[in-house]
Amino acid sequence: MDHFKERSTRDYFQKKLYTMEELFKRENRCIYEEPAFCHAACPLGLDAKKLAFFIEKGAFSDARAMLEHITPFPMILAYGCDAPCEKACRMNEVGEGINIRGLERAAMYHGSPKGGKGLFKFKKKQKAAVFGSDLFSLFLAGELARKSYPTSFYVNQKDAISLLKDCAPFLLKDDLVNEAKRLENMDIKILYSSNLTKEFFESEKDNFDIIATSRSFLDMCFPNDIPNKETLLAPISNILSSQDSNPSVLQSIFDARRAGVSVDRISQGLDPASSRGEEGSRESRLYTNMNEAIPSNQIYEPENGYITKEAIEEASRCIQCKCEECIKHCVFLQDTGKYPKKLTREIFNNVDIIMGDHMMNKTINSCSLCGQCTVTCPNGYDMAEICLDARENMVSTTKMALAYHEFALLDMLFSNNEAFLSKPQVGYEKCKYVFFPGCQAGAIAPDAVFKAYVDLSKRLDGGVGLINGCCGAIAKWAGRTAIYEECEEQLKNEINKLGNPLIIAACPTCKKTLEEMLKIEVKGIWDVLNEIGLPKGALEYDRPLIMHDSCSARGDSDMQASIRKLTNSLGCTLKDVPYNGDMSECCGYGGLVSYVNKELASKMAQSCTKDEDVPFISYCMACRDRFAREKRESMHVLELVYAAPAGNPPDISKKRKNRLSLKRKLLEEIWKEEVIVINPEYKIVISEDVAKILDERMILEEDVYSVIEAYHEDGSAVYDEIDGTLTSSLRKGNVTFWLKFKKDEPDVYIILGAYSHRMKVRVRYE
Amino acid sequence: MTDNKVYYTVETGDNLICQKCGIPLVKTEAVFEYLNNSFPVELPACPKCGFVYVPEDLALGKVLSVEKVLEDK
Repeated sequence: MDHFKERSTRDYFQKKLYTMEELFKRENRCIYEEPAFCHAACPLGLDAKKLAFFIEKGAFSDARAMLEHITPFPMILAYGCDAPCEKACRMNEVGEGINIRGLERAAMYHGSPKGGKGLFKFKKKQKAAVFGSDLFSLFLAGELARKSYPTSFYVNQKDAISLLKDCAPFLLKDDLVNEAKRLENMDIKILYSSNLTKEFFESEKDNFDIIATSRSFLDMCFPNDIPNKETLLAPISNILSSQDSNPSVLQSIFDARRAGVSVDRISQGLDPASSRGEEGSRESRLYTNMNEAIPSNQIYEPENGYITKEAIEEASRCIQCKCEECIKHCVFLQDTGKYPKKLTREIFNNVDIIMGDHMMNKTINSCSLCGQCTVTCPNGYDMAEICLDARENMVSTTKMALAYHEFALLDMLFSNNEAFLSKPQVGYEKCKYVFFPGCQAGAIAPDAVFKAYVDLSKRLDGGVGLINGCCGAIAKWAGRTAIYEECEEQLKNEINKLGNPLIIAACPTCKKTLEEMLKIEVKGIWDVLNEIGLPKGALEYDRPLIMHDSCSARGDSDMQASIRKLTNSLGCTLKDVPYNGDMSECCGYGGLVSYVNKELASKMAQSCTKDEDVPFISYCMACRDRFAREKRESMHVLELVYAAPAGNPPDISKKRKNRLSLKRKLLEEIWKEEVIVINPEYKIVISEDVAKILDERMILEEDVYSVIEAYHEDGSAVYDEIDGTLTSSLRKGNVTFWLKFKKDEPDVYIILGAYSHRMKVRVRYE
Repeated sequence: MTDNKVYYTVETGDNLICQKCGIPLVKTEAVFEYLNNSFPVELPACPKCGFVYVPEDLALGKVLSVEKVLEDK
């Protein structure tokens, strides 16, 4: 029982889940945080997806604030930009892309300017001067003013309107006036009607620390001084100017932005070429599933722009590109509200904490380890592996509380001890085959297991042994490698005793686990039945069914095909549903979710069976059981093959009884061994309502008997004079069980209620 | 843990009798222990045999919530 020693919160062990390199490598596979294609294409970094989001919600002022944040003259951008974002829009693939510039204009027309005075900023010490007027110099003057450099702007135009008209001739009249006002409201000293000659420049330049010019002015003063492509700094004159002599509007704005960065670097005495951060457009690794996009065309934009209704309509065409492929059909990820990259980092940090609250423990233990995310993710993100690694890590550092998985682990040990059976076929010492039905088959459909063994042993030559127990999956899912290794040793010994036969598994999880554990090929009973044909008396089923593929069959197309061949020979018609095969969702049993997070496990089973009123057929007994528990008609294929319907889903106590009864029946009827059953001297009465409470609270009938047994011998209990009930308790392993009961006749106990706790209680100073 | 501190008290009615000793349970200083932590409490117990009674609402309420907090420490 050493495996079940409770941890101490005062043990301070720590083991890194992954190296930082490994962590980054894993996180990097998740592309949820990647920018939308329109956003990535914009050298200025305008998040057009967010802009469309704001406009769709009618938040025009928020959209306007985004534009005003990105550039000093948003209207010039909205009219003059060559819009790489619109070319990158994925809607182009199914119709027309979004009219992003139209939305920018609508934001400027219908949004209010940001109120308030903003933060008080200290003026910078370095003084800047901008000579000459083109789009680059205009935008750079705006950038420098926003960066709080005292800026002088020398232009030959007589006023702001003429200046704007020369720089951005494409602006409409009203917009021209508005942008001119914007310029005049900026903290820039504009020197209109300046005589922009080289002599004038020479006389003025020494008054400033930073000099920028229009490209034509640079060419006039320093004809052979070409600015650097990245820093925009001309090497001879140390003047900032645009690199291209005839740049596009967007290029001018982008150059002005980059020149602004150079000014910051220079004013701090740093190399303008280094540590500039990420600049310009880039490739996005985002994946957007266009199958769900509805094709549509742009809303017509009149010359004076969209009215609000039209802008909202146009913005609502935006599909808000994002990759949520893994989240769409994973109830676990939906429940966490996190995407894999974020979840991975939080799990990593959780494992890293030595002292304090481990907030992610329940989350780590709530993943069904089904591997659906690995299939749905375009990059194959494996959340299951991360959760399992975390569980193993926590077990190895004693951070994993036993409470999460103790019941399941004890159930596994029950399967491999009291209920375990390993026998060669009668008349054989060594066998060619061994039937391995799996613990859940015996627990849920014992008759089908019995009949299957009888059938296989009759129809297969060379002897068919039987190993009825757990394959070790439960210990593996719980991250308890020591228990898993013990199981491995036990199974290896038994298989060896039977002459290393070919294992015929009736459960996809057993097949997968045993193949990994024993490094041998394991055959599914479905393959055997396809080879030898159906037994006599197999039930034919003429109603349509939905095949629910087991998560352990993910990636195993042979197994999936073999099962369909078998159901086909049973006459079943399978209804096609989108999420089966490799994409199948978990029923909620995988990864022991149903023990750790019952509500989530229920949601998982409901998600698998939602919108369908057709019965489900499965080849995994756990799936069959989980669906039946959610009141959905479901069956295991062996129930049809062996005409052995398992009926209503058994509760936790019945599952144990079924395994014991199966073992007894097999021993008595096949191996003709006498099984001695000792019945207690007393009788216990458990009503249906109480049985339900026991099931919900994970209290076994066996535990009830233990408490009564102890009371029967010792007599310790509390008698309540008001209702005449007795309450007794027993510490069993790590749990104290309490039982409320009445004694009807001398040896009849009527159970009224039960509860348990893991804390130990004792009198002080005893 | 200070010896004088008591985290939780269950008042003992006079209806609870120790079945084994035939005497009423009395409010007694007791202690809950879990994962190497202990909490002094006052619970009904038999003054003779020391049988401590943990009522259902305490077990499924406060005790369960403290267990969960400690399990994730």
